[in-house]
Amino acid sequence: MSSENTQQALRREVRGWLSKNVDGGWRQTMTGCEQDVFFAAQKEWFTRLVKAGYATPHWPEGWPGGGRSLAEQKIIYEEVARADAPRLILYFVALYHAACTLFECGSAEQQSRYLPGILDGEIWCQGFSEPNAGSDLASLKTRAERQGDRYVITGQKTWSTMAQYADRCLLLARTEKGERPQAGLTYLLLDMRAKGVTVRPISQITGDDEFAEIFFDEVEVPVEDRVGEEGAGWAVAQTTLASERGLTLVELSQRMRYALPLIVDAMRQNHRLEDAAIRRDFGRLIARVDAACALADRYLLKRISGEEAPGDASIVKLYYARTLREFTALGKRVAGLDGQYNRGFMRGATQETGNWTVDFMNSYNWSIAGGSDEIQRNIIAERMLGMPREPRDWTVKGQGA
Amino acid sequence: MNAELRQLTDSARQVVAGLGLAADEQEAASLIAELGWLMVSTPEEQGGLGMGVTGACALHTELGRGLARVPFLPQWLAIDAASSSAWPGRESWLECMMAGERRVTASLGESSLSVWQDGGGMILNGSAVALASADLASHVLITAEDRACVALLALDQPGVRIVPQPTWDVTRRLFDLEVKDVALDQELIIARGPSVLVIRERLAILRDLALAADAVGGATALLDRTVEYLQTRQQFGRPLALFQALKHRCADLKARSDAAQALLQDSLEAVTDSGGDVMAAPDATMKALAAKQLACSTYAAVAEESLQLHGGIGMTSEHECHLFLKRALLNEHLGRGHDSYDQGLAGLFIGNLNQGTTTNDSLSSVEAG
Repeated sequence: MSSENTQQALRREVRGWLSKNVDGGWRQTMTGCEQDVFFAAQKEWFTRLVKAGYATPHWPEGWPGGGRSLAEQKIIYEEVARADAPRLILYFVALYHAACTLFECGSAEQQSRYLPGILDGEIWCQGFSEPNAGSDLASLKTRAERQGDRYVITGQKTWSTMAQYADRCLLLARTEKGERPQAGLTYLLLDMRAKGVTVRPISQITGDDEFAEIFFDEVEVPVEDRVGEEGAGWAVAQTTLASERGLTLVELSQRMRYALPLIVDAMRQNHRLEDAAIRRDFGRLIARVDAACALADRYLLKRISGEEAPGDASIVKLYYARTLREFTALGKRVAGLDGQYNRGFMRGATQETGNWTVDFMNSYNWSIAGGSDEIQRNIIAERMLGMPREPRDWTVKGQGA
Repeated sequence: MNAELRQLTDSARQVVAGLGLAADEQEAASLIAELGWLMVSTPEEQGGLGMGVTGACALHTELGRGLARVPFLPQWLAIDAASSSAWPGRESWLECMMAGERRVTASLGESSLSVWQDGGGMILNGSAVALASADLASHVLITAEDRACVALLALDQPGVRIVPQPTWDVTRRLFDLEVKDVALDQELIIARGPSVLVIRERLAILRDLALAADAVGGATALLDRTVEYLQTRQQFGRPLALFQALKHRCADLKARSDAAQALLQDSLEAVTDSGGDVMAAPDATMKALAAKQLACSTYAAVAEESLQLHGGIGMTSEHECHLFLKRALLNEHLGRGHDSYDQGLAGLFIGNLNQGTTTNDSLSSVEAG
C-alpha cells in the first residue's frame, strides 16, 4: 500500500515537473531546422533532465538520479510519454548502452573515468554493425591488433546512430579468428577524436542523417579501455544490446497511444471523419495500439518479478514495429495527396509527427534496427515455439560462412 | 496472475484436457456444475467463489482451448444478471442456476424484443438470435428494449418458439427465439427502469470479454498444435518446422496471440479495478470492444493460417483443424456483430476526443478519490 502511495507521489512529482519544463513548441522548432539548432535543443533538454534526476533512473543507487526500481522507471517513462517531451536521441547510447555496459562489465576505474562524463553530456555511439555484418553481427571483420599496451584498429562500422556528433564509441572488433565467429571478438571504448577516425553521415530516405559510417585507419586504443577480457567481447555486447530491455518500448508504445488523435486530426482535415472504411481501420488500430501497450507493460512486470522468458522481448519489439507500420500507413493513407508533399522533417522527433510519409519511412527504423523483424521471428520461433534452428552449414556451394 | 487464479487455470486446464477436444456437451455440463465453475464469479456473500470476471474468463479461456460444447457463457450471463440485481427471486434462482439444476440460455448475438404494458402486466414480442443450447434450457435471459426490463422467460409456454439454426461450428448449437404476445411472469423480472440500461451494457461487456477469452484459449491451443504438427511432419527429408518461411508465419501468429492475451488481461484489470463493479470503470465498454475485436480477429487469423500450414490433412473432417476454424469464424460474429467492434471503437474514441475526455490516465482514479 505504502509503495503504491510512493509511486503515486512520484507520478505527481514527475508530472508537475514536466508540465513546467517541457517546451510545448519543440516540435515546431525542430521541423526543418538545422543540425546545430537540434544539437543545442537536445543538450539543453538533457541538462535539465539530468539536473532533475530523470535522465538516469536506471542507474544504480549512489549515482545522481539512480537507484529507482523498475516500477518507478516505468512511471517516469509513462509520464515523459504523456507530456510529449522530446526524446533524448542524441544521448540514448551514452545513458543506456554505454552506462549499462560499464555498470555491468566495466572495471571500477573505467566507471569512474567515463560515467561522470556521460552525466556532463558526452555523446556516445555504437560501433557494432558493418557493411557485411548486419543481422549476422558475429561475422564482423574490423580488426583490433594488440601492439604492446594498445590495440590498433582498422576497419569500418556503419549504421552508427549519431556518430557524427559522438565523443566516444562502443566498439566491437576482432582480435583473432576464432573457431566460432562469436569467439575472438573484443569490446573497446574508443575516442572518436583519436587520429585515424573518419565519420561520414549517411543520408537517409527521409532527408535526415541520423546514422553514419565510421572508418578506422590504424586508430590506437589503450589496453585499459578494453571492457572485459580479450576475446570476451560478444558477451559484453549482449549486455549492451539488452541494456534498455523493454523500458524504451513501454515509453514508445505509450507515445503511440497518445498520438492516436493525430489520425483523427488527419481524418477531420481530409473530410474522412465519417468514412466507414477509414473508421473501421482506425478502430482496429486502436485495439492494436492498446495491445502493444499491454504487451510492453506485461513484459516489464515479468522482468520485475523475474519471470522473463527467452523470446519475450522479441514479441514486444516485433509487435511494436508492426503496429507502428500500420499506424503510420493509416495516417499516410488518410492524409491523401497532401501527405505526399515534401515539407521537410522533424529532427529528434518521436515516431509519430503527423508528417505521415516521413513517419511511415521512419517506422522502418523499428523493423530493421536493433534486430530486424526477421531476426525477432527467428528468436520467437526457435526459443519460444521450440522450432529447430537451421543448420549452420546451409550455404550456397562455395560461399560458406 | 495471483496464486488463486493460477491454481484455477491449472486445474481447469487439466479438467478440459481430461474431457478431450470438443467433448460431449452433457458430460461436460454435469462436470463443470459439480466442480462449481458456475459460481466462479458470484460474490462469496451470495454463495459464490468470489473470483470475479477475471476468474470466469480464466475458465472461458480453458473451455475455448478445449473447444468445449458446454453452454457455459449464457448460463454465466444469467447468473451474473441475477447476482448484480436487487431481484426478490435472486437467492433461490442463484442457488439452482449455480448448481446447474436450472439451465438458462441467453442470446449471444442481437435481440430485438419489446414490451408493452397491458394493465398491470407486461407483454413481450419480438425475436432474438444465437441462443446457445436452448433446447436443454428451461428459461432464457432476455433484455427488452427501451429500458423496459431484464427478465427470465420460460421457454416451454405458448407464444414462445425456439428454432434450431445449425451452424458450421459444430461445437455450438444455436437457436432463434420468436416471442408473440407473451405475458412476462412478474416474479421473473430481474430489473426494470433505469438500472436496465446498466445491466444490459454490463452483460454486453461480460459477453465480449468471455468471447475474447474463448478466442485467446482457442488461438493458443491451435497454434501449439500447429507447431507440433510442423515438428512431426517430414518433407524433403526434414521436418516442416525447419523451413524459415513457415517458422516466421508461426512467430507472427505467436506475437499476435500473445498480444491478444495481454490486451484481454489488461482489459480485465481495467474493468475489475473498481472493486468488481464493471460499470464503474471509466472506459469499460471500450476495453471490452478492443479485447473482443483483437482476440477474435487473431483467433480467425491463427485458424486460417493453421489450416494452410497443415496442408491436405487440414481439409479432412477427421482432423481437428476445421473445428477450430469454424469456432473462430463464428466467434467473430457473436456478440455485437463482426463489424460493430471496429466501428464501435472508432466511434467511442472520436466521441471521447470531441468531449475532451481523456482515457488511460494513471492518476485519474487518485485524483477523483
